[in-house]
Amino acid sequence: MRTDFSWRRGLQGLVLVGAAMGALGSGAVSAQVPPQGAPPAPDGQAPAYSQFGPPPPPPLTPTEKFVTELPPPMPGGGPPVPPLAADAPMPTSDPHDLQGTWHHNQKLEFRMQRDMYGVLVPYNMDGAKVLARRVNSLRKGAPYINASATCRPPGQQWQLDLNFPFQIFQSKDWIEFVFEEYHGRWQVILDPEKAPRPAHKNYMGYSVAHWDGNTLVVESSDFRQALWLDVDGTPLSAKGKLIQRIRKVDNADRAPFLEVITTIVDPVYYTRPWSVVRTFGWHPGLTVFNEYNCEEQIGDPSVRADAGLVPEPKD
Amino acid sequence: MDMLTSRARHSLGALLAAVVVAAAFTTATAAQAGAANLEGVWKIAVPTNTLKPVSGPVPFTAQGRKQYEENKRLQAKGAYDDYDITLSRCNSAGTPRLMLTPERFKIWQRFGVLTFDFEWNRALRQIDASGLPPKVDFLGQALVPTMTGTSKGHWEGDTLVAETTNFSDRTLLDDLVPHTFDLKVTEHLRLVDPDTLEDRITIEDATYFKQPWDAVITYKRQPAALFAEDVCLDRRDAHQPAFPSR
Repeated sequence: MRTDFSWRRGLQGLVLVGAAMGALGSGAVSAQVPPQGAPPAPDGQAPAYSQFGPPPPPPLTPTEKFVTELPPPMPGGGPPVPPLAADAPMPTSDPHDLQGTWHHNQKLEFRMQRDMYGVLVPYNMDGAKVLARRVNSLRKGAPYINASATCRPPGQQWQLDLNFPFQIFQSKDWIEFVFEEYHGRWQVILDPEKAPRPAHKNYMGYSVAHWDGNTLVVESSDFRQALWLDVDGTPLSAKGKLIQRIRKVDNADRAPFLEVITTIVDPVYYTRPWSVVRTFGWHPGLTVFNEYNCEEQIGDPSVRADAGLVPEPKD
Repeated sequence: MDMLTSRARHSLGALLAAVVVAAAFTTATAAQAGAANLEGVWKIAVPTNTLKPVSGPVPFTAQGRKQYEENKRLQAKGAYDDYDITLSRCNSAGTPRLMLTPERFKIWQRFGVLTFDFEWNRALRQIDASGLPPKVDFLGQALVPTMTGTSKGHWEGDTLVAETTNFSDRTLLDDLVPHTFDLKVTEHLRLVDPDTLEDRITIEDATYFKQPWDAVITYKRQPAALFAEDVCLDRRDAHQPAFPSR
């Protein structure tokens, strides 16, 4: 078959497609709804927006405007996830067995700006002001004292978000997370009678869990102090609560992972609960941790115990 | 400041994690035939501050004796940060001193790695008996001496033989006995009976000791329990003992 016949057919196809697109475009023009983020039309002119675009977002509230105008966070980093070797051990098939070594396999988010649905974090003005003063303190070169900087347990969200490995061990009564960073430990109690609420509050709070099908639902509260949920200081008050929904996902692709959806419940700083999601890849090869010994520096009696940071104003 | 170093560490360390992990399981996992199960909660049977030789006194060299006497003098003065930063800073007590803790510890044994999780300050040490090649270490972290050292182990029948090197010289073997960077600690860990764990510790450090010497510590199994959240720095700031002794 001669090629010029194919070229003619191809050109005819292009003309037809172009005509169809032109018909669609001209037939669908209406001057009503601008696309999201589109600039305003010049005065006196009707904007030619497609009615197939999404509706415009509502205008930002004063609180949202206040938060979104803060200096942006540092870009997050994160390792690519390599495949495991063909003979690497896999987790058990029991969805209630979360044991093993896991590693946060997404980019570290220095500041959580949107929830897992892409909606802006629902700060109230008190929460927005706390975030703003923390963000601005760093940029002024006078960052505030926080748990991480003073070698104290930083709370579940910060601890889990860091891209360092942790192991999970579990029994019928409790589940223990042991972290490389901060030589941290998080205890999740399945039977409160076996591990009642302690007399004093812990940095990691008190976490009680139950199984909802194949999802472990953990409620953590009673924190000893307010938490920084991330490096930039997204706040959680000491009265706040974290609800983690943890499930093991294995799609038989030799890349099992844990999915942790964390719901932040804190009427002190937010207008409603909001959630973020993280995944943690299976990595038995990272079971041997690097030593973490922040006490050598932070505990040095010849230097300031606050590591040179400044006290945060009380609310 | 740890918050700031975390940022820097992520920008470098995280990028290397892929290579690290890719190298970790390129060979078959080590066989664990004959490995005993040392998992459980343990507590020292006879609390002591001192790592006592099985026989005779600690065989100090002249240099070792001199440093030991200096430590005693500083202890009498209360100048803890000059010789024992575990007491002054809550620094990890390291290997083998962590094994002298009067408090409990747990042993977890997964993927051929034994993780010792101490009630004291949530301290950790690990013995890698997996037989796998070491993680790829582009940042040279393995070159940095640590308090707990680098422990590699293998099983000889029902006994875990662990050799630890690459020590920082900022720890003590117990509450007074010093060591240098050249310290090598060899442990033979075995279950004497189902509820008794024995750790035979051999100390080698030619700078401070004339010959290798052994100490034996025995632990009794404890009921399963969750450890309280112990933050040594808070206790120290409250003028409580940083590393509780017997």
